[in-house]
Amino acid sequence: MRTSTTTTSSGITLSTKSCRIKFARRFLRSLAEIKKQKRSSASSSEEEICKRSKRIKMAAYSSMARAVGPRMNWSRALLFKLRNRVSYPRLVKKKKRVTVRSNKVPRSKSSVHIDRGNKLRKLVPGGKSMDYICLLEETAHYITCLNTQVKVMQAIADNLSK
Amino acid sequence: MDPTAGNVPGSAVPGPDHEEPGLETLQFREEIQRLMTVPPDNASSFTALLELPPTQAMELLHLSPESEPNPAPAAVSGKPPLLEPCAHPFNSSLTFPSNAALIERAAKFSIFGGGEQSPETGAVPSNPGVNLEKVKSEPAESDSNPNSSQETKNNQRSSAKRKEREKKVKVSMKKSKIEAKEDADKIPYVHVRARRGQATDSHSLAERARREKINARMKLLQELVPGCNKISGTALVLDEIINHVQSLQRQVEFLSMRLATVDPRIDSNLDHLLATESLSLMQSNFSNMTPPIMWPELPINGNRQQYQQQWHFDALHQPGWGREEDNHIFITPEASLISCNSSANSASLHTGHVKTEL
Repeated sequence: MRTSTTTTSSGITLSTKSCRIKFARRFLRSLAEIKKQKRSSASSSEEEICKRSKRIKMAAYSSMARAVGPRMNWSRALLFKLRNRVSYPRLVKKKKRVTVRSNKVPRSKSSVHIDRGNKLRKLVPGGKSMDYICLLEETAHYITCLNTQVKVMQAIADNLSK
Repeated sequence: MDPTAGNVPGSAVPGPDHEEPGLETLQFREEIQRLMTVPPDNASSFTALLELPPTQAMELLHLSPESEPNPAPAAVSGKPPLLEPCAHPFNSSLTFPSNAALIERAAKFSIFGGGEQSPETGAVPSNPGVNLEKVKSEPAESDSNPNSSQETKNNQRSSAKRKEREKKVKVSMKKSKIEAKEDADKIPYVHVRARRGQATDSHSLAERARREKINARMKLLQELVPGCNKISGTALVLDEIINHVQSLQRQVEFLSMRLATVDPRIDSNLDHLLATESLSLMQSNFSNMTPPIMWPELPINGNRQQYQQQWHFDALHQPGWGREEDNHIFITPEASLISCNSSANSASLHTGHVKTEL
């Protein structure tokens, strides 16, 4: 049986098997707690399902961040964000401003790269406080962790649905 | 009336008083001779520069016209004067005589090399503010012309020698460059060193190192993202990475929705899932573990063998817990911990199933 290991350029080796095991253990525990809460509230409306799915998603992300540990920037940022959200729940949602951009303005290569970098910073947690090289490295690690997360969740969903 | 008795106010007294001016002139001449024979202290440096005895140096200078009839310096030195004395007055500008030996000696020292004129033709005025026009109007001596032509020849020779030296230096530089190129061909390329025509500034070197780091990270990301190896261009690669991350995040959302909408009767099996999962983690058989999700229905008066066959059938058709897309490990009932052939194991399974039903 072979175990796939991903080595990032900074020397951090991510063993996908160990990460998968840790994530699965934590995620199953949090999932069991969510299901216990579900039993108490028997109503299965759309709102309840949405709330439950959000909780499951947060549980998945937090368990992934805990499995990775505080060695990576994105995991630290994710844990910090989740703790703040738990302690200070947001009551009012912010409205997103949609900016319409005209394509008539000529754009240089550097501006294109800056736009791509800003998009990537928004996607990767904690990307706003990173330089470009560190952002690429964290993105590589984050992608591997997301892949393992998706696989484990897929396996659990398949096992529970059949 | 004696002329001696009375003093006439307008008369001059003859006697030794009339001889005083003559004595004074004699004394003055003697002092001049002494000065000429014994040079002053400040003249010693000049005579040392010319490497001549002081008397001969003073002969060459001929400071005053009064020293012409006086043969004392020549007699003291014992050598005839080298050249005829110049007929210039004391206050006029003095010119050095054109003697080849003296010129060569004087050319060694930097005193005469300061001016634009050559040392043999250049005038050294004693008073720079007096008679400058005379100095300008004086013609150059005829004796100095061959010396100047010799000097021009010497200058040409020295310039030719300099050119030859420069050519030799250039040739040696070319050889060293060729050797350096050969060494560079032998030694592998060091990234910090700049190539020919590239900037060697510290800022540009740092920028180049930064670009190399970015390229390395981009290659790593290209390996992680499927179908990204074909794309060339960092902007397109970044677009693919962004799309891949977004798709993974959407998959997580979709799976969380799917887990939220799971049938409630299956939720009771999560506790058992957790227990078996912890057991499998302790035994480090996470990938080979298939926990029983759906317990098979048992007939009340059924046979144990029939139950065992039914369990095998269910285990075959259920997807394995440790199934992975990368490793392609599918669990067979022989490999699973639950499938067993002994009747004791089947009995224990039966009792466990009854407990869970209760």
